Amino acid sequence: MHKLRNTSGDTKENLRKQLEAIAGDGKIYVLGLGNTDRADDGAGVLVAEALREHFPSYSYSEHDGVEGTLLDISERDEDLTVVFVDAGDLRLAPGTIRIVECKDIRSTEITTHRVPVGLMSSLLSKSGKKSVVVCIQPKRTKFGRDVSREVACAVGQTISVLQEIMASRNLS
Amino acid sequence: MRALNVEALTRVEGDGGITVTLDGKRVKSVTLDVHEGPRLIEQLVKGMTPADDLNVVPRVCAICTLSHRYAALRALEKAIGIRPPEKAQLTRELMMLGENVESHSLHTFLLALPDCLGYPSAIAMLNDYADDVKRALRLKKFGNHVMAATSGRIVHGENPILGGFGKYPTKKALEEIKLKSHELVPDAVRAVELFASLEYPTYSEADMVFMSVNAPNKQYGFAGESILISNGKEVNVEDYKKLTSERVVSHSFAKRSMYQDKPFTVGANARLVNMGKRLDGQAADLFKEHYSDRWLKNPLMNNLAQAIEMVWSLEHMPELVDKITSLENPPIEQPTREDGAGTGAVEAPRGTLYHHYEIKKGLIDVSDIITPTAQNLDDIERHMRLTAERMLAEEKGDDEIRLGLEMVARAYDPCISCATHLVTLKRI
Repeated sequence: MHKLRNTSGDTKENLRKQLEAIAGDGKIYVLGLGNTDRADDGAGVLVAEALREHFPSYSYSEHDGVEGTLLDISERDEDLTVVFVDAGDLRLAPGTIRIVECKDIRSTEITTHRVPVGLMSSLLSKSGKKSVVVCIQPKRTKFGRDVSREVACAVGQTISVLQEIMASRNLS
Repeated sequence: MRALNVEALTRVEGDGGITVTLDGKRVKSVTLDVHEGPRLIEQLVKGMTPADDLNVVPRVCAICTLSHRYAALRALEKAIGIRPPEKAQLTRELMMLGENVESHSLHTFLLALPDCLGYPSAIAMLNDYADDVKRALRLKKFGNHVMAATSGRIVHGENPILGGFGKYPTKKALEEIKLKSHELVPDAVRAVELFASLEYPTYSEADMVFMSVNAPNKQYGFAGESILISNGKEVNVEDYKKLTSERVVSHSFAKRSMYQDKPFTVGANARLVNMGKRLDGQAADLFKEHYSDRWLKNPLMNNLAQAIEMVWSLEHMPELVDKITSLENPPIEQPTREDGAGTGAVEAPRGTLYHHYEIKKGLIDVSDIITPTAQNLDDIERHMRLTAERMLAEEKGDDEIRLGLEMVARAYDPCISCATHLVTLKRI
């Protein structure tokens, strides 16, 4: 889960417009991050898994192996944007959705266990690809709890927005 | 008096820090502080069946998950009288090679290399070494793939079970591994070239004692029934407590280990010191070319050792695949007794890992897990102290000393998360 500065949330229409502006005419790849065992922390994975039903070649989650997936995407010869979807502590109301540019993410260090979004987005940038993070404010992230109503609603909205955009460009 | 702190030791797994207390030009103390809370895994599995234990203990760590599973399997199968079929043993060896490549690729290229090349992180390294960052991710992805193909999942795969495998990898999956492993050897060789070309600081150098498993049939490998010590001795794994002599220290949640009252080293450098002459293929050539007496005293050589080991792991996969595919899927072997004890020792990427179990009436009565990082902690502190003393004597600045200490600690590829489950709490 990322820690981000305090900013206002985005409406569904704003989200769509912002994502379309960032992606230009290129295709959208979704990479959902998080831990589904920790309630709202798994929001990104839920989004990615739902989108995979419609876009199996364009939606991946933490469970697919993040680094390998990103490496494959970075080597594709096409105009594309990777949309990371993750729970992010925005210090806003639970369920708030906010688009954050990768350059604004704290470049957390690599550990033995994982490679941070900062490195992956830099790698994508080096390969001429764009990336952005859709953050969802979690309400609770304790182990074994259910996803909160607010975050479930935000997950649904994010799926809806991404599905709409991806249908118009990824399937053409 | 001043204290030089590296409060959060980055690019290692888990919550740890280094504290060096200096008194003028004298180093008063050097401690690698482990702040991670104890996990009490050994107590948690007490009363469980061996099969249930296998679902719990790999959760100690998400990177050495298969090492923990393999060590537990070896110990438990010994305890309840299961002799795993040859195909299961070979497939377990393959999964260990995958884990080795996955872990070493991340540590060498992305965690250790930035230190050695003077970059604050792999992200900063991207401008000049983008291809090497991609190599790391490519190797890591392949290691993950081998782990998933053999164990069922990238992390915490459940396929390796008592007496065999729930499901063996398909011939197609195995052939893909064979092909891809061959393709990736040059990426691992590049890691060797990079680490062999570096100038290694000498501040931490001192005679070291190395321990590793003794792989069977005088071959190189990641599991065995005895432990080789670089002083020439060999000890049965059932006597592991004589080698580790655990104790508790006040500044750390992780237990410490000593051998004959002295720190010792486990890890890739220990394996190559003890079994390097058994390597074959290009890995053997690289070892012969780059091995020197410095390996016996400089912990930073562990980075180069990991790179060579990565080459061996990739080169060894096709041979293993051929052996596995030549065998029919065997039935799962069943326990032959309800009571017994056994110790399993395997080489996790970062060193020797012990699991010991005592079973009564089919349930776990005693469990003991000793991780590689817990064994290395005293050695890390010893080499950090030498580094601090020698750098102070050369009047190096605080930032330089801090980096020197971090490089030593990181070279051991410590996994602090794993090391902290080892404290036993006693209530009186």
